[in-house]
Amino acid sequence: MKITTLAECTTGDKAKLNGIDDEQLSIQLFCMGCIPGETITIERIAPFGDPIMISVEDSFISIRKEDAEKMRIEKV
Amino acid sequence: MQKAENFKIEDKVRIVLVGNPNSGKSSLFNVLTGLNQRVGNFPGVTVEKKVGNFKVNKKLKAEIVDLPGTYSLSPRSEDEQVTFDYLNDNNRTDIPEIIIVIADASNLKRNLLLASQLIDLEKPAILALNMMDIVERNQQSIDVEQMAKEFGIPVVPINARIGKGLDQLKEAIGSYKLPPFKKFVDNHETKDALDNTLVRYEKIKRIVEATLKTKGESKTAILTKKIDKILTHKVFGYLIFLFVLFIMFQAIFSWSSIPMDWIENGFLVFGNWLSNILPEGIINDLLVDGVLAGLGGIVIFIPQIALLFTFIAILEDTGYLSRVSFLMDALLKRFGLSGKSIIPLLGGAACAVPAIMSARTISNKKERLLTIFITPLISCSARIPVYTLLIALIIPAEQQIWSFNLQGIVMMALYLLGFVAAIVTSWVMKTMVKSDERNHFIMELPIYRAPRWSNVGITILNKVKVFLFEAGKIIITVSIILWVLSTYGPGDQMANIDEKYQVINQTPGVDLSLSNEQMASEKLEVSYAGHIGKFIEPAIKPLGFDWKIGISIITSFAAREVFVGTMATLYSVGDEENTASIKQKMARATNPSTGEKVYTKATGYSLLIFYAFALQCMATVAIVVKETGGWKWPIIQLVYMGALAYLSSLIVFQIFS
Repeated sequence: MKITTLAECTTGDKAKLNGIDDEQLSIQLFCMGCIPGETITIERIAPFGDPIMISVEDSFISIRKEDAEKMRIEKV
Repeated sequence: MQKAENFKIEDKVRIVLVGNPNSGKSSLFNVLTGLNQRVGNFPGVTVEKKVGNFKVNKKLKAEIVDLPGTYSLSPRSEDEQVTFDYLNDNNRTDIPEIIIVIADASNLKRNLLLASQLIDLEKPAILALNMMDIVERNQQSIDVEQMAKEFGIPVVPINARIGKGLDQLKEAIGSYKLPPFKKFVDNHETKDALDNTLVRYEKIKRIVEATLKTKGESKTAILTKKIDKILTHKVFGYLIFLFVLFIMFQAIFSWSSIPMDWIENGFLVFGNWLSNILPEGIINDLLVDGVLAGLGGIVIFIPQIALLFTFIAILEDTGYLSRVSFLMDALLKRFGLSGKSIIPLLGGAACAVPAIMSARTISNKKERLLTIFITPLISCSARIPVYTLLIALIIPAEQQIWSFNLQGIVMMALYLLGFVAAIVTSWVMKTMVKSDERNHFIMELPIYRAPRWSNVGITILNKVKVFLFEAGKIIITVSIILWVLSTYGPGDQMANIDEKYQVINQTPGVDLSLSNEQMASEKLEVSYAGHIGKFIEPAIKPLGFDWKIGISIITSFAAREVFVGTMATLYSVGDEENTASIKQKMARATNPSTGEKVYTKATGYSLLIFYAFALQCMATVAIVVKETGGWKWPIIQLVYMGALAYLSSLIVFQIFS
């Protein structure tokens, strides 16, 4: 099955962000440098599979799984 | 803020500090002002406002305001709203203002987004590029002049940690000339906030490519990734956190007991000295037993507050605290809390006061409120003397269950009970408290850095100051009220006791200290507190409490451990030899009408549960008033915990009797 959201990725994966299906979340993540076109790396996944630590450029960001489900990506 | 066209610097200027979280904003603030700073609140909200002063040059003085960290000027939290409102307020025209936007140069693109939005406010601004040391370590260089040209405002490279570049920054402030404003991005040309942000990023990307030269790979991020492999490991991560907690608790429980003893003894000695030099009478009593006792009750908290915040400041400054939140979030999320709630909840086992203050690190308003609400349910160190006395009274030391000491089991059960009550309360409240803030837990994990000791020191100092001066007012007031209640009584009953003991004390061979103790006890009985104790007796009788316990519940609102002292005073009556310990006296106590023992198992357990749940602590109430910005939540908390205590005690008493 093709992986389409960030929540489905595993540690070490790299993915290109295509879009975020939530306006509030988009604003928040855009302002932190997480914008469409950027490459996201899955750095770590906390025990219980939630939250997920990602890195974009040199920023490390922790996001909850339910928010990661709204982030459309494409694995690279 | 003044209209730009009127901008003219004379002898005073206001610097407004804006920047991303973790951009080194507070470092710059601290290095500019040193101890010349004060902490307050922004009007109407509980967001911390830091204001300081420094000299720009011989002629020019500056006031500096540190605004809460924000990623953008599209506010989404209370903190960011404060920053937004402050920057857009055009009514402050007393002195000229310059915005310093501080940007982490090792993470340029994201930090420049905020800078670009500030430029479009068309107000005097300077861009300070911080963390130039990391840029150099990463073998990068920034063309500062080119960047200044692109943005149209002065750009100054600095390293706030060691104070490098400060002279240049002051120079830029002192010689500030209003530049011709040009919009970075015209808001009319973009269709919405999202589009606007993306257009900005496009432009910023181009500027960064033109000004930033990179030779190697970013080294600091690599180190952080390596450390994270251990510190957020699914097994080692928790073990390391457990170890950190262990050290923290050791410190708060055992290290702080030494200065706390000094403070306690110091106040005792000073109180005795004061009561001896002042003429006897009401002023003497008010000062020594009311004001000084209240002051002592405040100062005693300082060691614990200072120690807890030493740890929290270090954990936060190094970047470790956000990793702890990362590890704990999944667990605490279910109860409406966040990963960051773990520090207040655990700190509550030492003392709820510093623990509640530490909830400031939780950025989501609702999660912070829930954390503050449930923290006093965790059994704190002030409950230990009460637990110890009561457990010893109702459970024989040798009693065992499966070769475990029953006293120890009950003690542990009380701690567990508090924790469970806290978690369940939060789980229930999660659905009841409305919040317009979205529950996205998006948190930046800063790279690991060594703590900045001066920042740690200033944090401790500020926290202690806030507690002393804000919560202190309420504590002193309540302390004086409690003193009045237990010193005065209706009618001339008090005077009669005085007369009676004047005669007794003059009989030859009388033990003065014994008769004084008995006098204190009789007086307490006829005082207002005593009358209230008797008045509420019908209400607390179903819990197995008599009026003496009623008095103790009233007086121990000052602090739970006062229960033990009040009991000691009350039971000194009738103990002619004055040899028995407070425990023995209580064990002997019988109900005068029925002849039965007062402290049966049922009453004991009921009282234990009562002290586990009831909010018997004026300092906690005072700090909740301060931290939630009003009386609404502390009153709800007081009533809720009181009701929980009452009902639980009622059930326990009925089961055991």
